[in-house]
Amino acid sequence: MSRIVPLRAAVDVAIHGAKAVGLGQALRDGLPVPDGFALSGPLVEAVAAGDEDAEAEVIAAVAALAAPFAVRSSAIDEDGEASSFAGQHLTLLNVATAQALPEALREIWWSANSDAAITYRQKVGRFSRPSVAVVVQTLLAPETAGVLFTRNPVTGADERLIEASWGLGEAVVAGLVIPDHFLLDREGRVRERRPGYKTVAIRPLASGGTVEETLPPQQVERLCLDDAQLAELHALALRCEAVHGPDRDLEWAFAEGRLHLLQCRAITTSGS
Amino acid sequence: MRGAPIDVLQRVPLFADLNPGELAQIALLFKERDFDQGTTIIQEGSGGAAFFVIEAGEATVSIRGTPHSTLGPGEYFGEIALIDEGPRMATITAASRLDCWGLTYWDFRPLVEANGVIGWKLLQRMAMMLRDARGQ
Repeated sequence: MSRIVPLRAAVDVAIHGAKAVGLGQALRDGLPVPDGFALSGPLVEAVAAGDEDAEAEVIAAVAALAAPFAVRSSAIDEDGEASSFAGQHLTLLNVATAQALPEALREIWWSANSDAAITYRQKVGRFSRPSVAVVVQTLLAPETAGVLFTRNPVTGADERLIEASWGLGEAVVAGLVIPDHFLLDREGRVRERRPGYKTVAIRPLASGGTVEETLPPQQVERLCLDDAQLAELHALALRCEAVHGPDRDLEWAFAEGRLHLLQCRAITTSGS
Repeated sequence: MRGAPIDVLQRVPLFADLNPGELAQIALLFKERDFDQGTTIIQEGSGGAAFFVIEAGEATVSIRGTPHSTLGPGEYFGEIALIDEGPRMATITAASRLDCWGLTYWDFRPLVEANGVIGWKLLQRMAMMLRDARGQ
């Protein structure tokens, strides 16, 4: 068993977690996922325990990838259809160098063992040792990013729901802004577009980490996606559904004008 | 370096009865865990699966919103979570940057189950501490 593999070689959920395997499958299917590596749960735990050989293994492998990095957990039982650990496990954006990865992995391992994560595990009947696999990818510096549900997760209606804001998508995921809201029908026609109230954008810092940047007034209520970008997102939703099946929850970003897929998982709640 | 430094664990009353070999076995199971000032590490009433020994820094303890005590180097918190699956009994907040070593339920339980001598020594020490806490 290889403890660290290129993302496109991640095939076993029991080793690298659902997120890594989902992204690996997306890469193999030609979807526009940023390149990266999948680290197994035992490797991450060894790094968290201070094993110097494990740290060296990670640093050497990831040297092939352009820094800075986005580091996300891909815990083995994360993102199941009935429960989601997405809000419990840490994501570290903009880890500046490969040498900084061991500390990042330690933090992520502990986030899965934090009181908040353990409380959640107890609530969903999974009081058991978490196996914390991790995905390391090159971090994008997007102009616009957000989420896309291929089915409306609130009403269950057969329509695309898109929420978007300026900068990194964590501003949307963490609820720091009221994002722009779009509804598209199955054919990609825009049914509804409603500007949000986007006062901040999360941007990567050259020294590592991120900063909340206050946006100029003209961007606060200006729609951050145009029709061409909405059409690209609709096409991406179709491709994701063709590959992974219906009812997907996507995270995406436009960086340097190109659309990237950051995550594609099953929707965990639906009003239907 | 793998595991907590022995000299840090030697300061922990809970481990006072363990011999150097037993202490070394437990030390290997600890992982480094640092907290920024102001971080709520443990929330009263929440679930938990980790026990922490403080190497450097200070933490405050409060119960039902009332300040109770301050913890410093060599002191520890969260030990009940190593044994049961019940809710946390106090809130612990980092009063400064806090350098800790953490041990999880998942690592502790197999050690104790496999090594009855260590388990018995810890049980005796905890019983003694319970008596002290009750003022007997």
